[in-house]
Parts: sequence; C-alpha cells; structure tokens
Amino acid sequence: MNIDDATAAANDRLADRDDMIVCVDVDKFYGDFQALKGVTATIKEGEVAVVCGPSGSGKSTWIRCINRLEVHQGGDIVVDGIELTNDLRNIEKIRSEVGMVFQQFNLFPHLTVLDNITLAPIWVRKKPRGEAESMARALLERVGIPEQAEKFPGQLSGGQQQRVAIARSLAMEPRVMLFDEPTSALDPEMIKEVLDVMKELAHSGITMMVVTHEMGFAREVADRIMFMEGGEIVEVGTPEHFFTNPTEDRTKLFLSQIL
Amino acid sequence: MQEEDPISVALKEEQVSPNEAPRLSVLQWFRTNLFSNWANAILTILGTLAAFLMLRGVLNFVFSENREWVAVRTNLRALMTLSYPESQYVRVWVALGFVVGLAGLSAGIWSNWGGLPLRRLATWFMGVGGLIALCVVVREPSVIIGTDGKVVRTIEGSPQRESFMDAMVDRSGWWIAAVILLAVGAVLWSRFSSPVRRRGPRAELSITSVVFVGIGLVILSLWVVPYGHYAFVDGTYIAESGTTVAFSTQMPWTVMWVILGLTFLVGRFLRSSRYVGMAKTGSNLLWLICPFALFWVVLRDPALDYGHVMSTDLPMGLAFGLLGGAVLWLLTRSDIGEIGRITATALLVFAVFNWVAAFFGWYPMLQKARISFLLLALAALLAPNFIGDTAKRRQLVLGWLGVMALVHYLATMINTPSTVDLQSDEFLGGLGLTLFVAVIVVILSFPLGVLLALGRTSKFPIFRMLSTSYIEVIRGVPLISVLIFFSVMVPLFLPDGMELAELAAVLTGYTLFSAAYLAENVRGGLQSITKGQYEAADAIGLTAAQRTGFIVLPQALTVSIPQLVGQVISSFKETSLLAIIGLFDFLRVANSVIPAQSEFMGVKREGILVVAMIYFFFNFIISKYSQRLERRVGLGER
Repeated sequence: MNIDDATAAANDRLADRDDMIVCVDVDKFYGDFQALKGVTATIKEGEVAVVCGPSGSGKSTWIRCINRLEVHQGGDIVVDGIELTNDLRNIEKIRSEVGMVFQQFNLFPHLTVLDNITLAPIWVRKKPRGEAESMARALLERVGIPEQAEKFPGQLSGGQQQRVAIARSLAMEPRVMLFDEPTSALDPEMIKEVLDVMKELAHSGITMMVVTHEMGFAREVADRIMFMEGGEIVEVGTPEHFFTNPTEDRTKLFLSQIL
Repeated sequence: MQEEDPISVALKEEQVSPNEAPRLSVLQWFRTNLFSNWANAILTILGTLAAFLMLRGVLNFVFSENREWVAVRTNLRALMTLSYPESQYVRVWVALGFVVGLAGLSAGIWSNWGGLPLRRLATWFMGVGGLIALCVVVREPSVIIGTDGKVVRTIEGSPQRESFMDAMVDRSGWWIAAVILLAVGAVLWSRFSSPVRRRGPRAELSITSVVFVGIGLVILSLWVVPYGHYAFVDGTYIAESGTTVAFSTQMPWTVMWVILGLTFLVGRFLRSSRYVGMAKTGSNLLWLICPFALFWVVLRDPALDYGHVMSTDLPMGLAFGLLGGAVLWLLTRSDIGEIGRITATALLVFAVFNWVAAFFGWYPMLQKARISFLLLALAALLAPNFIGDTAKRRQLVLGWLGVMALVHYLATMINTPSTVDLQSDEFLGGLGLTLFVAVIVVILSFPLGVLLALGRTSKFPIFRMLSTSYIEVIRGVPLISVLIFFSVMVPLFLPDGMELAELAAVLTGYTLFSAAYLAENVRGGLQSITKGQYEAADAIGLTAAQRTGFIVLPQALTVSIPQLVGQVISSFKETSLLAIIGLFDFLRVANSVIPAQSEFMGVKREGILVVAMIYFFFNFIISKYSQRLERRVGLGER
C-alpha cells in the first residue's frame, strides 16, 4: 500500500475519528472462485469512501458483505462496534443502522412512494404512522421530488426512483450509507440528479461507502478512494493522490482506460 | 373512380379532428373487420352459420314438446337445499338475507361504476329485441296439438308441425315484445347516439336509479310471473299443486331484494362519508366470517344452559381475557428485555405440555383452557412487535380481548347440543351443500396453500422437503380417491369413541387436496419475485416475517390471481364429485333425485341444463370479479 503526503494528511484528519467500518482479512468464495482475497480496510465516521475498479474486481461483493447480503467466509467485519456473525440479532442491528442503495433501485412496486419510505420506520423503528409520514415527506423534499409521494414506483423515471430509494434508506436514520453502483442503470441525463443528492448527503457528514464509476463524483467529494482489482485493494489514497500521482501500474492502467 | 378507405371516409363525414380515433359507421365496421378479404369473408360466413345452427338447436331443445320443465319448477326447493326441514326453513332465509345484505353493502361501498349511458342502454334494448326476433324466426314451428291434448302425427308417425306463417302468428306475443324493445332502443339511440363532444354533457342514468329500477322490476316479476310450482319435499307438496312459487316464497324473496336495495344505498352513503376506510375493512372481515357464522345459523342452534354459562363459561372467558391482557401489557413494556422472551417461551412450553397431558390423560383441563393458553403463548411471542407507546400496547391487549371473546363464545356454542332437528345424514343437499363445501374449502385451503408454497420455497431443507413431498403426493392422486379415503378409510383409523361426520371428513380431504394445487399456483407467483426485492427488504431491516408479509406475498399473490381464480372455479365445479361418496350435491339432485320421483320418472335433461346454467352464472361472476381485481391491483405496476 502506498501512502504519499496528501494521503497522510487525510489519514491524520480522519485519525481522531471513531472507526465505523472495520474489515480485516475478509475472504469470500463463490465455489472455487475467490471473490475477495483478504480485504483489509477501515472507514472512519463521517468519511466518504469511494471504491472503484474494473468489473469483476469484487467491489460490489465487498460492499454487499458489509450488511450481510453476502456472507463472508473468512476474516472479520465490524460495523459501528458490532461484529457481523451468524447471530441474527447482530445482523438486524447492523441492517437497521446501515442504509443501502442498489444499482437496480429495488423499490417495492406494489407500494406507493410514501409507503416505500415509511414501511421500515413504522415496522422496524416502531414509529407512529403520522410521524413516519411527515419524515418521509421531508426526505422527499430533500431529494427533490416532494410531489411524487402518492405515485407508484413504476410511474417514475429512473432518476426519480433512485432518489426515492435514497430517501427510503435515509428514513431509517442510518449511520452508514452504502451505494452499490447507484448510477449505472440510469440514462445519462438522469445521472446528475442522483449525484447531486449524493453530494448533498456527503456534505451532511454521514459515513458513505460508494461503489461507482463516476470519477467526477469521486474527485469532488471522496475523502479517500480505494482501487480494487482481482478481489484485493490495490491502492488507497486521496482523490488528489489517486488522479494525479497513482503509484501502482494497475491503477494507472485503469485510469487510462476510464478517463 | 378510386375507392377511398373507410377510415378516411369516416374522417370526412364525421369531421373528427385527426388526432381523435375516427368512428366507423356500422357498414364500414363490417367491411373493415368481417369482410376485409376473401378468406375473412368465408370465415365470417361459416362462423355465423355455426352460431345460427347452435342457436336453433338450443331453442328447439328448450321449447320442444317433449320437455317437462314442470319437473324443475316443482323441484326448485329440492335443487336448492334438498331435505332441509321445513319447520326450520326460516334459518335459510335469515342466512340468505345476511349474504344478500352484505353483497348490497359491498357493492355500494366498492362500486366505482359511473352512470349507465343511455346510448349503451339503447344498444342493449336493440340487442335484446333483435335477439328475440331472431329466436322467434329460427325456432322450428311447433307441433300441432289435437283437441284431445295429444300430438297430431303424420302417417309415418312423426309429429305434424304447423306452417311457418301459423307459427309466426302464434308467437305474436314475442313479436310485440321484440318490436317494443327495438322501438324504444331506436328512439333512445337516435336521441343520444351522437358523440359527446357535439351535444353537451353525456346523457346517462345514475347507477342508483339503474339498481332501483332493476330491483323494482324483479320484485314486480315475483308477483306476476308464475316461476314454478312449489316445493316437493319427501314426496309431498308443501303448497297446493297448481299454485306458483310466488305464493310461498314471493314474500321472502321480496324482502331479500328490498334488503339488497337498502344496503346498496347504505353502502353508497358510506362510500361518500369519511368512514369509507373502516367500512371497507369491516365488509371484508364480515365476508370472511360470514360463511362460518351462517352455516352455523343454518345447521346449529345451541340450547344454552345458563347456569353453566354463568358459573363456568363466562368467568373463565373473563379470567383469560383480563389476566392474559395484563400479562401482555407487562410483556410490551419497553424495558422488558430478555424476560419477555423467557416468559413467552415458558408459556409456550406450558401450553404445549397441557395438550400432551390431556392426550395421555394425566390431568384434565378443559379444551377451551388449553386453546386459550396456546393462544396466549403465541400472543406473548408476538408481543415484542408491539413494544412502544401506549397506543401500540393497547392494540395488542384489545386484540387479545377480542380473540378471547370470539374463541370462548365459539367454544361454548360448539360444545352445547343443538336444537335444530336434522332427521338424517342428508340434512342438506343441492346448491346449499355445493356452496357450503366450495366456500369452506376455498377459505380454508387458501392459507394452507400459501403456507405450503412458502415452505416449498423456504431455505430450510426440512420445510422444503415436507411441503414438496406433500404437494407431490396429493397432486399425484385423483380427487375422488382422496375423497373416498377420507370418507371411508379415515373413520377406521380414528380411536374408539371419536367420530368424524361424513361431511367433516370430506371437507378435510377436499381442503387438503385443494391446498396442494393452490400452493403450486402461489409458488409460481413467488418465483416471479426478483432477488432484488428480498435484498431491499433485508437492507432496510425488515424481519423475515415482515419481508414475507409486506413485500413478497402481496406481489406473489397479485401475480398469481388468474391461476388462483382458476383454482377457485375448479374447486367449485369439482364439488360435483361429492356425489360419488354419497352426498347429495347440486348436480346429483338433478341427475338422480328428480328422475327418481314417480311424477317425473326419467326426466333428467331439463334439470341438468338448469344446473349447468347456475354453475355458469356463479363462475361467470367469479371470473368477472377477478378481471376487475387484476385491473385494480395492476395499477401499481404501470
């Protein structure tokens, strides 16, 4: 792992914060294929970490291990001091603190936008319906689509759906937000509206881990960028370091292909 | 001159703006749709000919001089309920009245029909009028009845028929009806047929007036039309022969239709009031409860021993309600923690142990108490879902009180002997029995089928294995063998002193059978749910039960509505197999009971035709309703 001055400075800035996500030697196998090879990383509270890398590099697998949508076979994952084990109670606790936004939005098509957002607060957080609804409307306002509350997901554009999905995750008042390629399934003209919402979120101080190919977004808001390939973290650094002075050949190759 | 295509002609004539769909005249419609080319024209002609021949065949059958419709008219009561005791018949009316009232209420609450456009009414009038006229012409001329009341025969022995002209004159009553209908339709049509946009607001009748005119006409017909000679029970006429059904049942039927109209009005009123949500939930709940409650009314009337009720039943119910409520109130305290789980588990162990103890006879405990303890344990297990503010806790406690009231009421009633005197095993038959079996089987097999489907798609191998083998075994066996097994074999396996009524055994078997098929239909729906839906539900922190209840099942059931309705329809029709194990279902009454009466020896076809029509009527309603349901729930997926 290579650390230059800027990265050192960023690490200093983050050093006195609490650890939010700690991964130590995480291994993940699909049959004989090893998708994650000893991934070790720490994400601090309030940090915006962008994970990038070529497809098949294991970045989605890793982010999905963090709220146990995938089960890791080796190593430890600790989220906000809770270790991810087979204990259902720990999994439930972590899932209610970690929000996740998917590539395919995964909104519930049979529920209105408002019901999509209020479902978990009402049934998991046990909030009264009125309170949950007013919070949902405030969140819709925040993501810029307050007028769509009564519609069904199928009646919205892709960008609007993804913003509803973000609002749905935020409704649980999570401490960590995971984004799994949130703009990859969107038409080009809708990417910006989703990225704008994510930027606003990043500035609000929530811990974010974002798997994305949007290098502009990474350069603008990431505290650190992690580059993965072949199931390993190849290079970690600030955007400045990453884009102007990458040390690893594989990073350079990736950047030359994508930029 | 070059021919213009019909659409541009229509555009020119109607002066429709090009962005609206052009209206074709009748002739143009025929040319574009039925006679567009040679092949199409030939198919149209052949199809029309086939329909024409079928209509002629049906008409000749129905109006043939050999038909004895009097057999059906006399046996209307037998077709409906067979041998239900005359002295208790008021129960049937009460039950029917309740269903009719509930139907009216629901129709009023749920209906989102607009008015009936007069234009459409005009087409109906003209259509019916035209059909009558067609039928009158198509039917072959009647045979000639001689002065001695016998058919006049030709030398070869075939019946002699009147001439075509004479037949037309004989049927002048029908002609007049057809002409009146056609005339009224034509007048309405010419008055209101123009497109809306040119002549102000669309003329239509409000739905309320349509319903009330319809009900008024039906009631009028009850007092005018001689629907049939009245009932024939156990070989004797209950009313004098020669009078019509109206004399003994016109009053109850009038009451039924009045109830329908009034409850429809109430429903319309509720629909526009602010209680509409409550009314919808309430009517749905009533529909679910009413089959059980009504069959109860029809089949049982407990003679209560009030001393026992006051000394035992009531205190016990109260004790369980209040003490259990208090326990649940404590278990939903927010600081309960582990104690809650431990208490609930202990309760469950105790409740299950009670059943084991009762089975081996270690100590006697009333079944009612055992059921109550089991329910209490389940409620305690559910309690963590209700931890929170006072309102939530109150919900659980009130729900508990409601369940206890219902369970103790039912248990007391079931354990009390009935005063309804049912003479024989075949106390109920005909349409009553068919509907009874169909409704109970559908309601009971539905939750069972959903559970089986969930089991088969579960990630736990034991559930998967059990459900899969159950479903495959049942599906590999014909329904008849399941019914025979349950009616003949199961009683042999029961311990001494335990009896299972034939009907109960059959209901059990049929429910288990139907559940296996329902499960496969639901499984199809479950498989259509994408992995992303599961992941999203997990990611927002829903438990497995919440994920199933809120996300997976609603979508899976929506997808499988067409198959589920198909299953309901076939369950309903296959009740006719009950005849095989000796029950007198609807079809068997027409097929064996009526033809065995000395007055109507061998008269079978009429009854079967009527039975088929009534089956069709019910299934048509079910399938229409399912189409509406599909459209309504389809909204979310647009």
